[in-house]
Amino acid sequence: MKEIINKIEKLYPISDFKQQNDKTALLTVEQDKAVDLLIYMQKFEGFKHLAILTAVDWIENNQFQLSYIINNPELKMDLILRVFIDREKAEMTSIHNLWEQAATYQRELKEMFGINFPNSPRVDKPFILEGWDGLPPYRRDFDTKKYSEDTYFPREGRTKNNPVEYMKQKLYPDE
Amino acid sequence: MSKLFNIKEDRSLFPEKNEHGKIDIDLSSHKYLKMWHGPQHPGITGNMSLEITLLGDEVMDCETHVGYLHRGFEKLMERRKYIQCFPIVCRVSVPEPDFNEYCFAAAMEELAGIEIPETAKWLRTLVLEMARLASYLMWIGGQAGAFGQGIIGQWTNYLRDSMLDRFEELTGGRVYHMYIIPGGVRGLLPAGFKQRMEENLKFIEQMMQDVDKVMFNNAVFKKRSVDMGIIEKDWIYKFGITGPNARAAGIPLDVRKDNPYLAYPELDFETITASHSDIYNRADLRRKDLLLSIDLIRQIMAKMPDGGEIRAETPNVLHWKVPKGETYSKAECTRGEYGYYMVADGTEYPRRINVRGPSYTHAVSLLEKMIINCNLADIAGLMVSLHTYPPEIER
Amino acid sequence: MGKINDILSPFTAWKHLIREPLTIKKPLEREGADRYRGFHKNEIDKCIGCGTCEDICQNAAIDLVPVEGIETKHGDSGLRPKIDYGRCCWCALCVDICTTNSLSMSNEFTWIDEDADNFLFVPGADAKPWDNSEKGWKKPNYNLYNPNRVEMNELHPEERDKSFIEIVQGYSKGQALAEADRCVECGICTATCPAQMGIPEYIKAIRNDNLEEGLRILYDTNPLPEICGRICTHKCETVCSVGHQGDPISIRWLKRYIADQNPSEKFKKILGTDTIEQNGKKVAIIGSGPSGLSAAHYLALMGYSCTIFEKLPLAGGMMRYGIPEYRLPYDQIDKDINYILSLGVEIKYNTTIGKDITLEQLNKDYDAVFAGTGLHLGRSTKIPGSDNKNVYFATDLLREISLGNEIPIENKIVVIGGGNVALDITRSMARLQNQKYGKVNIITTSLESEDIMPADREEIIEGREEQAQIIPGWGPIEIEIENDKVKGLHVVKCLSVFDEDGRFNPKFDENIKNFFEADMIVESIGQGMDLSYLSVSIKENLEMDNRGRIIVNKHFQSSIEWLFLGGDIIQGPDVIHGIANGHKAAIGIDNYINNKK
Repeated sequence: MKEIINKIEKLYPISDFKQQNDKTALLTVEQDKAVDLLIYMQKFEGFKHLAILTAVDWIENNQFQLSYIINNPELKMDLILRVFIDREKAEMTSIHNLWEQAATYQRELKEMFGINFPNSPRVDKPFILEGWDGLPPYRRDFDTKKYSEDTYFPREGRTKNNPVEYMKQKLYPDE
Repeated sequence: MSKLFNIKEDRSLFPEKNEHGKIDIDLSSHKYLKMWHGPQHPGITGNMSLEITLLGDEVMDCETHVGYLHRGFEKLMERRKYIQCFPIVCRVSVPEPDFNEYCFAAAMEELAGIEIPETAKWLRTLVLEMARLASYLMWIGGQAGAFGQGIIGQWTNYLRDSMLDRFEELTGGRVYHMYIIPGGVRGLLPAGFKQRMEENLKFIEQMMQDVDKVMFNNAVFKKRSVDMGIIEKDWIYKFGITGPNARAAGIPLDVRKDNPYLAYPELDFETITASHSDIYNRADLRRKDLLLSIDLIRQIMAKMPDGGEIRAETPNVLHWKVPKGETYSKAECTRGEYGYYMVADGTEYPRRINVRGPSYTHAVSLLEKMIINCNLADIAGLMVSLHTYPPEIER
Repeated sequence: MGKINDILSPFTAWKHLIREPLTIKKPLEREGADRYRGFHKNEIDKCIGCGTCEDICQNAAIDLVPVEGIETKHGDSGLRPKIDYGRCCWCALCVDICTTNSLSMSNEFTWIDEDADNFLFVPGADAKPWDNSEKGWKKPNYNLYNPNRVEMNELHPEERDKSFIEIVQGYSKGQALAEADRCVECGICTATCPAQMGIPEYIKAIRNDNLEEGLRILYDTNPLPEICGRICTHKCETVCSVGHQGDPISIRWLKRYIADQNPSEKFKKILGTDTIEQNGKKVAIIGSGPSGLSAAHYLALMGYSCTIFEKLPLAGGMMRYGIPEYRLPYDQIDKDINYILSLGVEIKYNTTIGKDITLEQLNKDYDAVFAGTGLHLGRSTKIPGSDNKNVYFATDLLREISLGNEIPIENKIVVIGGGNVALDITRSMARLQNQKYGKVNIITTSLESEDIMPADREEIIEGREEQAQIIPGWGPIEIEIENDKVKGLHVVKCLSVFDEDGRFNPKFDENIKNFFEADMIVESIGQGMDLSYLSVSIKENLEMDNRGRIIVNKHFQSSIEWLFLGGDIIQGPDVIHGIANGHKAAIGIDNYINNKK
């Protein structure tokens, strides 16, 4: 793994390399060179298999992290490629030409995180959430609890008691 | 004959495609029929529907629709403490929940730097193989049922039930076992378990011989499945195909061998492959894999330590903070590479957990490609042969 | 050939026609496996309603509700878990984490009822057919939290028994984090703490390594954290839910950790008390013990100008003059007191009320008076010989040691008493004996048998480690005197101390006798209050009950409305009660002064 990193270090703007365990490594790459690097890894370094393409919402940094987990079946190595993109202008080059299933991943990311992948097939079509027009629900600022409280109603006959408050009430009624 | 009826030999060339590789479907021409296949239908354990366009009884176009089972697990987990995710993860994939439990626990243990006890390692391996066996047994019934052989489903589902009895004994639950807890497992083998398991395995082997005779040595089944739903070798990486679907095409992808985890390095087995991935060969490969699982369970039960610690010491689970970091843990389930991508931000709650169910790639982009030119009556059989569990598509 | 076989082979399925069916004939009667996770059971008397099951339940299926017949008392919230089976996912984490091990699951999984609301019940309280079932999921033998306490570093007995260096060395950061991690945040302890400190909150602050926040939480209810972190009677730990299946959390040591780790010069900044707006009102406080200091602290925060009148040359009261230095070093007392003084509180040392200034005068000069004068008079057994000059009171000796005065140390000493004060004097004298004679020869005897000795358990253990002999269960009957010199103590076996009603009424077996040789005897069987500072007219107006105890209201206001009293004289000897009294009295004084105008 180290040799590959040494090689691509000269070619691509990468940083934060970390050998997570003997089969998995982490790497960060700049957004504009990310797809180039993926192509390079796929074509020349044998990382032929795309296991996951997903996103992490770092709302506090105003960033999305895109994680491409690619696998080299010969070396039996997983590489988690991280790309940080702007949260306000969430857009990334599509990789559906490299891996067919990426189109599905990208469609899901569009729907769940609101990250756009221009020209990815059917990227604007609802995937899971037909008829959803609210905030993309996997964003950190979407509050699931509030949503469920607004949408559903609690079961009747349920009351809650906090032991601390309850004991105070019972044992020290005058305070 | 073909000249007389003007049928093109290569069905995949029919109908003619435009420059985008799609056909132009003009519904007002009354030539086409659009219909929904699903969400409830034979062929899949779970709900998922196909929007298909037919010309006669041949599929011209298809689009997968999911969303009937979306429970937002990945999001729910972000709002739950790590230990509270543990009862949720198994629900991502109903027929074989244990892979979820394992991948989740393994990712978390890796990030938290926890080494699980030896006994727990073996018990986890045992449970994973039991889950594989149970899942295959259910699948075989589904595959046979999709081609009209209901009796096989009755037999193998009984066999699966007998495995569930063992699960119930060991884990306390039949379907959702919630056994592989972060840090270890939740119980040792009960007394007499090995013997009852052996009886079970013998019975399964015996019944599988009948299944062999009735399902696999069956002219009807062969007629409908040989050379149907072929997965080309060069699609494997292009579509992210893993597991038996890939192995049947001759690519030996098996996480158990490639990235050995738990007690697999100490078990003696070979990855089973075939050279031609059609429905029949995939079914046959899964049958062999099932028998391999039986063998592995026997090996595990012979080699595993008898007692000992089952759970490593962990911080108090009520405020377990996993150090900042991210990792990807994977395991080989019956359908291929099952993976959990976990991002921890140093708090008591996971930052993000992404579940890679193998069905995700199989049931959408691959299925949509394979189904073209398929006969309406064969769709169920084709879908089953990809071995899809819809809940892991939408999580 | 193969093709023909493929046609014929499927017909072998017919042989199953004559097979016995495998179906279960009566599925409702099928029993679950031994470990099956079925409907819950709860041993309702064992359960303490700590709510840990509710906390871990990811489905919010558990509510804590009051249950008839279960009373709220210390260590038991009186609530019990009610489970909504519409939400329960049968994961049994509630069973695994149950602190008392009362919750379990039966292996019953079939129950038919037409009313969905019946699937919402309190296991154990609402009788169910599976309540007595033996099988089902029980707490496995692993722990979801650590039940064992992090060991505290202590001086080795040999190192400590000649000196007064503090024995308990305090937690390191790693130890404190590990100990704080064990807390399940149930909050059962809070109600039992006389000051109702936010115990789970400050333990959480330790886990988050936010010790400044921790200090703020401590000072909300307790202005003497260094002192309490060392010598508090930690009633909280006796009710700790984790203690039911392991060791209770070391709440006291964790409090000390917070106080120790925050440097005293930063206190004012952390607590935001750099500038306090003064309201121009004045309060006089008699006695600088825990209750007086506590009252002064909270009054000072409200803007009152407080003056403490202290009879002795240094502040702290019993904390300084009654507790040996090896348990509570003087510099730690100073750390707490100096902070309170930095808020503008003034102390007039060596000033005795009734002698140097009268209470009436204080009433004239100040808007209100708080008295926390404590219990400083030793009580005597009044047995024959107890009037000998070689028979002492423990409180007097402890005070002399703290003042730095020399006290008489004899070769053979007997201490009468089984409380913490008795152990304090025993261990102090043991050290002095060791310094003077190079060996320890001290016997401590109490009425109470060892299991009911009022002293803290660790005091007894440590006392024995320091070679003191602790012989409980004997009643003193006579001190043998020969030529005006003490020879020893005659005792008889004590059978029981309290009668059926729980009243003090010891019973002895006069036939079992013993004799402890001694040339010095120390009595430590309790203390009385010294009310000599009250003038006759005040005493006449002060309402007392028939046992001579002063009656105060919930704000510790006496029948003389400007006079508030608190601490040991009201509540009996205990630091944390004193602190709580002082806090409440401060609120009461504030109310009183505000309503006066």
